[in-house]
Amino acid sequence: MAVTDKSTKERLLSVLDDLEVLSRELIEMLALSRSQKLPQGGEDTQILELLVQRDREFQELMGVAQEQGKVHQEMQVLEKEVEKRDCDIQQLQKQLKEAEHILATAVYQAKEKLKSIDKARKGSISSEEIIKYAHRISASNAVCAPLNWVPGDPRRPYPTDLEMRSGMLGHMSNLPTNGVNGHLPGDALAAGRLPGILLLCAYTPVPLAIVRRLSGYAPPAPWQRLWTGAPRPQQRERGRRGSHVYRLIQQQQRLRLTG
Amino acid sequence: MATNQPKQGSENDDCSFLPLVHDIIKCMDKDSQDVHQELVKFKTRIQEAREQIGAMPGIGMSLSEQQHELETLREQVRTKNQLLQKYKSLCMFEVPKAS
Repeated sequence: MAVTDKSTKERLLSVLDDLEVLSRELIEMLALSRSQKLPQGGEDTQILELLVQRDREFQELMGVAQEQGKVHQEMQVLEKEVEKRDCDIQQLQKQLKEAEHILATAVYQAKEKLKSIDKARKGSISSEEIIKYAHRISASNAVCAPLNWVPGDPRRPYPTDLEMRSGMLGHMSNLPTNGVNGHLPGDALAAGRLPGILLLCAYTPVPLAIVRRLSGYAPPAPWQRLWTGAPRPQQRERGRRGSHVYRLIQQQQRLRLTG
Repeated sequence: MATNQPKQGSENDDCSFLPLVHDIIKCMDKDSQDVHQELVKFKTRIQEAREQIGAMPGIGMSLSEQQHELETLREQVRTKNQLLQKYKSLCMFEVPKAS
């Protein structure tokens, strides 16, 4: 069994070594017997037989080695085939991974879309409601100028002077500033005839910013820039709006001087 | 086949060392001066045989082992061919055309 496990190469080399040794032995024996002229024993016959046997074995092994060489060539061809198939399989594997990635992305996006559809269905609002709301918030023309607005049109997205005068503050400004029935504003308050805001303006120093605001100085609103050609509030508009406040300030100064 | 056998026979005879040993013994019998030459020839032939054995491909294993490896390789190639055929002939997805 040990002989069969040995490779063909090892066996060939072993047989070749045996051949060399046996040949040398035979030649030395023959040379010795000729020189000493002694009768040869049976040893040289045995050596010769062994030599012949080893030679035959060597020839068989050489035949086997040649067959193995042909088989080796076939194995090399098969190994190349296997390499080629491995490359093809790797290529297919790459394509499969790409396809899996694309499909996974598509499935994920589809799931997200389905979620958003469900969410939209749960919080659905009728289109009529949305249109109504849109009408309401745009009814005052605060988001967009009226379609027929032209430069010179008195309409504004903020309360105009007339609208302010017709409101509560406007009515308050129409009250007399010399007090009531000859009384000072403070007495009028004590008598319950003057509103507190006028008294506050009369007796306390009013910050400049507030005075400016009350006198009608206001920076133009952001939306106003969107209205192309929209004019800035006129100076005389400001003067008209702030005239009652100006009178209040003058009265306050007089009171200080006299007081 | 008949023509191949003599060729194989001649190839095997080329590997034999007996003719060289016979030549050496013949020279010894004749007391010829060629004995040394024949001995050198014999040694050279042995050395050449060793080099030839070292250069031969595929003899690093026994015949049975080599046959076993050959069968394994054939099986590998067969299996991989089948797999590739199977994956390449799988049904393709049909993408419906947008109407």
